[in-house]
Amino acid sequence: MIDLYHIWKQYQPPHWALNDINLHVDKGDFYFVTGPSGSGKTTLLKVIFREIFPTQGQIVIDRRNILRIPDHKIYKLRRTMGIVFQDFRLLFHKRVYENVAIVLQVLGIPRKEIRRRSFNALRMVNLHHKMWEYPSQLSYGEQQRVAIARAVVHNPKILLADEPTGNLDPELATEIMTLFKEINNQGATVIICTHDRDLIRYFGEKILFLYKGKLIRKETL
Amino acid sequence: MLIVFFLEKDLSETKRSLIEENLKKSSLLKDAQFVSSEQALEKFQQNFPELQGIIDNININPFPSSFETTLRDENISSVKILVFIQEISRLEGIEDVQFNKDWVEKMESLSRLAKAAGFFLGGILILASFFIISNVIRLNVFARKDEIEIFRLVGATNIFIRIPFLMEGMILGVLGALISLVFLFLLVKFFPLYLGTSLGALNELINFRYLSIIQIFLFIAAGIIIGLLGSISSIARFLKV
Ligand SMILES: Nc1ncnc2c1ncn2[C@@H]1O[C@H](COP(=O)(O)OP(=O)(O)O)[C@@H](O)[C@H]1O
Ligand SMILES: [Mg+2]
Repeated sequence: MIDLYHIWKQYQPPHWALNDINLHVDKGDFYFVTGPSGSGKTTLLKVIFREIFPTQGQIVIDRRNILRIPDHKIYKLRRTMGIVFQDFRLLFHKRVYENVAIVLQVLGIPRKEIRRRSFNALRMVNLHHKMWEYPSQLSYGEQQRVAIARAVVHNPKILLADEPTGNLDPELATEIMTLFKEINNQGATVIICTHDRDLIRYFGEKILFLYKGKLIRKETL
Repeated sequence: MLIVFFLEKDLSETKRSLIEENLKKSSLLKDAQFVSSEQALEKFQQNFPELQGIIDNININPFPSSFETTLRDENISSVKILVFIQEISRLEGIEDVQFNKDWVEKMESLSRLAKAAGFFLGGILILASFFIISNVIRLNVFARKDEIEIFRLVGATNIFIRIPFLMEGMILGVLGALISLVFLFLLVKFFPLYLGTSLGALNELINFRYLSIIQIFLFIAAGIIIGLLGSISSIARFLKV
């Protein structure tokens, strides 16, 4: 499903944010990526959804080399993905509901359907009562849940989440993980970056350890 | 402008009326007046009483009969005038034509100059409006570049992202066109009044007039196109993420 071949990424010499990463992710896998801050977790996700290009290496998703997809067609790849950004990236002058609905709007889904599914996604993260508020009126944890709802609302084939529980209390974090697990059980491939050991201990199946840009260990529990 | 067609001596009635018919038919003329040789003589005597002696001496009437014609004001194309004069002169019975050739040619070159200046200014204004619109939109795009990035990351197509900005460019273009049409209307309506007749011959040259319906539509369409192009040019580089 997702294959990374010798991925190197350098933002500024001489440091390598990713250092020769080779990775094979099967359809339906549930991966945790962990490692200290600055080890390259975010960078790894960014090259997978092609926000950035690796300095070297190739990435194949669904048998397509995503580095060769032209800019004006990259939306096709992104539509198969749900992404929870570490910094949320919400539309701050749009309401919570609109932030989630936008994903379906770009797909051209009928309005009624959009309303139903957006509401459901917000209910799953327990925010449906705040859907007419603006993100700036929400706490960090709530904003993070909006980002999560947006990432799952279109039933993506691939779910990438960058520290999605960083601002949540343990109960809520568990709930969100359960939600991801459900989505995974429905067939989606899931990759979650986190350094929350409790989550990994509880939910972990396959775990990747990053350290200074290197993939130093793979573990399957 | 006055154009005088002198007729041959002893021209038959039928030939004369043929010429008259041709003159009356022409859309270039406001007026065509037959002046017989007697009338011409009379006029001369009125205008130059001190030369009375000369006329008395020659004893015959030296003045040929003629058609005195005046052009309509708006006919300023000298090519048209010259073609017209040639056509009439070719008719049987016309001996000579008198008109101010210099004046016609001067008007022509002046009007050519005015046209060139018009095209030049028009070109500059089109470019200026293109750059103004594209910069206005660039500022907007820039202010919303995070949003555009998010749109791209959630799978929006470029066209989806572009549409609001294209609309904006179009609206700016249409507004610009409408505002300048209003100005043109006011200008045409009040400027000649304000200048009065002091413009003189220039009035013919500048020839203030409204645009036709088709021209108005073309004008607005051009506004739309300029707006769209301005918009397209300013979003492109933000669609790279
Ligand atoms: N845009 C950037 N420009 C320069 N250096 C960056 C940039 N993004 C990340 N880095 C560097 O790359 C390394 C990996 O960063 P990141 O992938 O964000 O790690 P993590 O998500 O594991 O904390 C860090 O050393 C970080 O400073
Ligand atoms: Mg990170």
